[in-house]
Amino acid sequence: MKIHYGTALAAVALVAVHILMRLTQGFAESLEYENVLANYKFIPYAAMLELILILLSVHGFNGLRVILLELKQGRIYEKAVSYGCLAAMIGLIAYGSRTIIMTNMGMV
Amino acid sequence: MSKDEHREGIKGMANPTRYGIERVAYWLMRLSGLGLLAYFVGHIYETSNILRGQVGWNEFLELTQTTEGHLVLAIVIAMCVFHTVNGIRVMLGHGGIGVGKPARPDYPYEPASQNYRHKIGIYSAILLAAIAMMYGLAVMFGE
Repeated sequence: MKIHYGTALAAVALVAVHILMRLTQGFAESLEYENVLANYKFIPYAAMLELILILLSVHGFNGLRVILLELKQGRIYEKAVSYGCLAAMIGLIAYGSRTIIMTNMGMV
Repeated sequence: MSKDEHREGIKGMANPTRYGIERVAYWLMRLSGLGLLAYFVGHIYETSNILRGQVGWNEFLELTQTTEGHLVLAIVIAMCVFHTVNGIRVMLGHGGIGVGKPARPDYPYEPASQNYRHKIGIYSAILLAAIAMMYGLAVMFGE
C-alpha cells in the first residue's frame, strides 16, 4: 500500500502542474503542434512528464492488480495477474518514454 | 443445496443499496480507477502521434477535439477528481484519522469508522467531481 499511496500523492501534485500548463493558454491553443513540441523540448517539463508516466503506470497497474486479486484467488492466477500487470506497466512506460525521448531529441 | 448456491457472489458484493454510501464509494473508486487507467493508456497512444509530424498530430486532434471527445474528457475530469478526493479520504482513514476511538461493540453494532466525517468526505468527493466536470465543460466548450 505504501507504493500505491506514495505514487498517488506524488502523481496528484505533478498532474496538477500538467493540467495547469494546458490552462496557461487557451485549451485548443495549448494543443497546437508547435506548443506541444515546445513542451517536450523543454527538459524540466519533459522530465516531469516522464515522472508522471512512471508514477501513474505503477499506480494504475498496481491498482488493477489489486482489483483482479480481489475478484479471484489462486497460486497460478495470482502470479499471472502480478506478472501480467508488471509486464503491461513496463510496456506502457517504454512506449511513453519513446515518445518523450524522441520528441525531446528532435527526432520528429 | 450446495454452499455455492447460497452465495450471491459479485452481485451481492456490488449491491449498493444494502451497504450504504460507503459501498457506493467503493465501487465508484474502482470504476473510476479502471476508467482512468483506460484513459491513461489511450492518452499515451494519443500523444505518441506527435512522432508522425504535424499532419499526423492534426489528424489525431481532429478525432479527439470533437463534442464527443470533450464529453469523454469531462467524464475523465470527474473520475479524476472523485478518485483523488476519495483516495485522500481512504488514506486518512487507513492512517486512523476520522475513524473514531476504539470502543466496546454494542447493539446496533454500528462500525465507528463509518461515521459522519467519512460520509461527508464521500459526498464532498462526488460534489467536487461534479463541479470540476462543469468547469471542464465550460473551458472546453467556452472557446
